[in-house]
This record gives sequence, C-alpha cells and structure tokens, in this order.
Amino acid sequence: MGEPTFFTPHQRATVEAAMVRIIPSDETPGAREAGCIDFVDRYLSGIGFIFAKPDGSGFESLEGKAADSWRKRIEILRAKYSKGIRDLDARAAATFSAEFVDLTAKQQDAVLKAADTGERAGTGADAASGSSEPALQQTSTEIDLDFFPLLVVHTRQGFYADPIYGGNRQHMGWKTIGFHGPLSLKDVHEGRYTTLPFFAEGEAEKVKEFHDGL
Amino acid sequence: MMASKGKPARVEAVIIGAGASGSTAAKVLCEAGVKVVALEKGPWRNRETFGGDELANINRYNLWPDPLLNPRTWRDTASSTAKVGQFCPVPQMVGGGTVHWQGWLPRFTQNDFRLRTIAGDLAGASLADWPITYDELEPYYLKVEWAFGVSGQAGANRFESHRSGSYPCPPMPVSRYVEKFHKGCSALGWNSFPLPQAALSRPYNGRRATVVSAFAQQHGDPTGTRSSALNVFVPDAAATGNYDLRPQCVVRELTLDREGRIKTAVYEDGEGNTFEQEADLFILACGAVETARLLLLSKSGRFPNGLANGNDLVGRNATFHEYSAAVGTYEDPIYAWAGGGYVSASTFQHYEHDPSHGFVSGGHLAVAGVGIPLPINWHLPGAPTWGAEAKRIDRAYFNHSLAVAMVLHDMPQHDNRIDLDDEVADAWGLPVARITLKPHRNDLDQGRYLIDRAADILEASGALDIRKVYADRITGNCSHQHGTARMGNDPESSVLDKWCRAHEVENLYIVDGSPFPTATGANPTLTIMANAWRVAEKIVAERGNTT
Repeated sequence: MGEPTFFTPHQRATVEAAMVRIIPSDETPGAREAGCIDFVDRYLSGIGFIFAKPDGSGFESLEGKAADSWRKRIEILRAKYSKGIRDLDARAAATFSAEFVDLTAKQQDAVLKAADTGERAGTGADAASGSSEPALQQTSTEIDLDFFPLLVVHTRQGFYADPIYGGNRQHMGWKTIGFHGPLSLKDVHEGRYTTLPFFAEGEAEKVKEFHDGL
Repeated sequence: MMASKGKPARVEAVIIGAGASGSTAAKVLCEAGVKVVALEKGPWRNRETFGGDELANINRYNLWPDPLLNPRTWRDTASSTAKVGQFCPVPQMVGGGTVHWQGWLPRFTQNDFRLRTIAGDLAGASLADWPITYDELEPYYLKVEWAFGVSGQAGANRFESHRSGSYPCPPMPVSRYVEKFHKGCSALGWNSFPLPQAALSRPYNGRRATVVSAFAQQHGDPTGTRSSALNVFVPDAAATGNYDLRPQCVVRELTLDREGRIKTAVYEDGEGNTFEQEADLFILACGAVETARLLLLSKSGRFPNGLANGNDLVGRNATFHEYSAAVGTYEDPIYAWAGGGYVSASTFQHYEHDPSHGFVSGGHLAVAGVGIPLPINWHLPGAPTWGAEAKRIDRAYFNHSLAVAMVLHDMPQHDNRIDLDDEVADAWGLPVARITLKPHRNDLDQGRYLIDRAADILEASGALDIRKVYADRITGNCSHQHGTARMGNDPESSVLDKWCRAHEVENLYIVDGSPFPTATGANPTLTIMANAWRVAEKIVAERGNTT
C-alpha cells in the first residue's frame, strides 16, 4: 500500500516485539492486534502525520516554524529509537546471546526491565522520580524522555489514539478499557458526539429537550 | 537594531495579547468607540480547526505551546542552574487559555482581597492586601458571568460573598463523579456546590446548549457551545469595527518617548517583517509570565532593568498554584471521561484562612477525572506504566476512578520570580522567561492539608482505595500565573496602581494575572476578566474627561 515507514525490517520487528510486552495480548487485544507498530512507524516517517485534520479528512500539512520544529523533533526521536534498538539487542546479546526479537517473552521482559532501570540510573535523581510516570502533569515533553519510557508512551498512544493515526484498530484499545469514544473525528467535529448517557442516572433525560439531534 | 519595515497608523490603544484579559479589555474599549490594535503572538483559529483528538491536543502541542519554539527555563534558587522545560504553559493564540479550558469560574471571596489584614505577616512571604475590594469587583463578576452564559447556581456556595444577581444558566448536568463528591461532602457535613462553568447548560444568546463531549478540558471546542474569549469577547470586539486584531505578531519590545511614555510596540509579523506601532496607551495582556518578560525585554536609558522596573519588582512575587489530587477507585462505574472529566463540583469548606490550621489560607477542592481522564493520558498514580499489570489496571480502573483535586494557594515570595534567561532564546531569538521558584513551607503544609481533606471526601463517598499525591514542589503543572506586576497603593512596593496603571509609566496598563498581589485558592480567570473589564471601563471614563 506504500505506507511510509522509518524502520528497517529488523528495527520494526524489534520495536514491535517490545511493544507487545508493554501492552501484552491476553483475553483482550494488545499492542500487536491494535497495530501500535504502524502508529509509531508512521509517526517517525516524517512530518506528514503529526496532526489529523479535525474532521478526519486527512492530515494537516505543517509550515513555517511549526514544520521546522517538528522536523527537528522527529530527528531527535529517530536517533533515540535507532540507539534504543541497538541497546536492546546489545543487552539481549550480553545476557541471552541472541537478538531481542528471538528471546522468549520472559527474557524480553527482563531486558526491558534492565533497560528501564538502567536508563533511570543514568539520568540522575530527577528521572528516578518518574520520567515514565507523569502523574498529574498537564503537558509532556517527549523528547526529554529516555528511550524506554518514550517507547512506553508511544505504545500507549498507538493503543489509544484515534485510529486515524494508524493504531487502535477498530477502536480495540478503547473497547478494551470501556471508553465509549466517538465513531470518528467527524462525529465530534460536527457536534454529534455526547457523553450525557454516562452522567448520573436520569440526567440525560432531564436535559433532552435542550439538545436537538443528540 | 533591526530595520523597521513600516509604521502602521497610530491608534488610541494597543493591546498586547488576545486571550482572556486582552479580549475583555478589547470588547469594553471597542464598544465605547476606542480604536484598538491588538498584537497577538499566536494564530487566530476558528472553531472548525478544533477537534476531538487527544493525541494532537494533549500530547503533540496542537494547542499547548511547542516547547522547541517557546521554551522556558526553571530553577529553584538563583544559585542553581536553570533547566529547559514547560513551566506553567498556556496556549498562545487568539483566545489564549480559554480556548482549551473547561472553564471553572468560581469567584474569589471578600477575604481574598485582604489576606495580609486577615492573616498578618508570614515570615519569608510577601503577603499584601489588594488595593481593591470584592465589592468593587462584584459588578464586573456579574458582567462576565452573563456575557459567557455561565452555568451555575447562585447561593449554592455557602462561603461565597455577596452577589448582585444569579447565573444566566442553571448548573450543568450531574456527572457520576460529581454525585460521589456531593455524597462525600454531605456525609462529612461540608457544603458543596456545582462548580460554575463556562459552558451552556441551556441555549443562550443564540448559541446551542453544550453537547457535553469527552473532549473538553484541554481541547478546543468545534461546536462553540463552551464559552471562551475566542467565541464571546473577540466577536463582540470585532463587531464594532474598532478592533484591528493582528495574529502572529510577536512584540519584541516597547520603546519610550522623551517624556518616559511608551511610544511604540516593536513587533515582528508572521513573515518576519518588523513594524513599529504607535498608540496613546498600551495594555499588556500576555499572561503574568510573558508580560513580565516583555517588560524586562524593554530596556532603555530611563529603565535599564526593564520597563516600569525602577524598584526591581517586575517579575517578582510570582505565584502559580499547583494542581494535585487524591485519587479514589470505586466498585461502580464513574465514567470520569464523561464531560471530559471536569463537569465538576467544589467545596470552599477549607478555603478561608483559619489560624487553628497552623498555616495561612486554603484552597478550594473540586472533583475531576484523574489527570486528563482520556485513554492515552489517564494514569493511576503509583501504578506501573507497562506490562500485564499495567494493562489490568487500565481495564479495572479507567472507568472506576476519580480525583478530588486542590487549587493550592501558594504564597508570594520576593525571590520567586521571572527574569530573562541568559542562555536560552525562543524561535524569535529573544531570551526566554526563566522561573526561579522555591515553595514556601506554608505551600507544602497547606497542600498536605488539602490533599488529606480531599482523601476524606473520597473515603466518605465510599472509595475502595485512596492514593494521595502530595505536592512536594511547585512544578508549574497548572496554567494559572499571577503576581509579577503587583497592584498596590504604594509605588515603592508595587508596580501598578489600583487601576492597573504603572506607577512609573503613565500610558502603561496591565490587565492579566500580573496585578494580583496574592494568588488565592481558586481558579483565577473569572477574576482576571472581571478586573480587565473594570480597568477598561476606567480607561474609557478617563478618555471621556480628556477629549
């Protein structure tokens, strides 16, 4: 289909294998079924998939300072991935004498755990207080994250972002946790999406007359 | 010096910034016949450009400032090295923070305007009374509430001061998280009330009732049914024909004439051309951080340390609130994403100063989802971020959790300040704002107390499990900012007079949160807009006297 990619086949397989451990499949779908790898591969492919158009009809084309900034950001992220993937293979080789993709799930978890704690130890006290846990922070600065927390964030985004970004296929991320999101970006854009049925008992009924067409 | 491309026609007033405060001032001035040029750093977006996209709006800076273009730096004391980061960001665009807010609009109480008198001195803090009273501001609170079609219930907050009128729209529908909150407060014997909101619970002024989307807090509104400066005050001002709003115009400095009045705003447009805009008076409305930065960038022979900064007060006494919460989980579904997690209720039970607490003042507590309670950004504090257990927690608690959050009333301190970073510049080559900030002991004590009370509410409402997130430092995780150009009656200890005019520069006004002598424990934007309206009316009245 000519979907743009950044990764080599080996890189792609390695990242996907790690994502599958981050959101594993069980009786419900995980990162593999939701297509998290497509989400991140597409994100890193350039600046063509940064912002969906709000009506879901495609993607914004960036210009000027915003384009410069996103080009720079994507370059930084690509470098983190390239190095991070090499590190996973190096850890896998050192501990289990194999490439990361060829390890068992349990071995992969051990490598990822080591990568996570190793990175935190290497970046000082501040990171230890939770670079991978941005509790109650309103904004994120993803280029400040180390590779593993970055991969965790991107896996989560791929699982739960609107399907237009390439992951969360058939809304399977949303269904897994019970989020009754909109059918499409267009539904929100045109004002057809409401959460009133999920308010307290009887509330939606009380205000029905004020809401034409909902 | 940069070559100047042009000198647009002189106008009566230049307003720098078209967010909450700048557009309020613009509405009032333009409706009184004043010709206004507004210089806004960001774009002028319409509602068709907004959508229900968590990734774009919350994680990818579709609305938040891009930290690569607009960085800030932060350090805890003047002797430590500042680090680049997002500290107290606010969307930079026409409408400002009101574009993506949920719009919690509680009023301050009368004691907020005299905290120094009420609480006395606090060692290490620079507490001050306001030079205005609640009663002086009250009529303007009502004007803003009615302009915005605020949904609320007059009299429901037992701690509210006198109000001269009711709300234009009844409260928003009751969310399941609000239901829990009222239940908890009621069991404790505490007053709680529907938090007044800038959204239409009923059709109002030709606008539809709000659809109550999940994409609300931190999302722009494609339906126009939440109220913002962008969809209320900007159109009001534009309808007069007197409002020349120029988006994507970055003001680099303000220059003076021989009398020490501001002569021009030097600005760069989106194509990189530089202009000098002259006016009779200049109103700064960039938010307390950026307003202080612009004053400090405007150096002259008369003001070598920055405009209106003869007493080294500009940028000092900065306050930021801090958002933190106790989080509870429940057996029954809460659906905290309904209404975006912020169709809320509040209690002012721990708001007023109480000497028996052992710390000064307090803050309001309100119910919300956990952080941004949408799938990507929801996270139960303390839970693992990856693996089978993380997935299990997402499944078990995404629909079964809520937060009771505080607005911390942080204390003003002389050394908590904004100045210019000497190493980091923004995408326009200008030194960025550097925040130097260390919490006062009072901030930490008050914060712990409020989080403990939040946990009381959770417990009394039947939560199964409670996680407290204490604010151990001020991280700038809230978009509220105040205090960097205090108003006061004494020119030695304040930057502005009670009409928010600079003591040292007679044609300079500041109408954002900068004039606030204290932060209070409530969301500031209603008060910012009410104060901007008050100041703009005064400017109109004075103009009547001189022409």
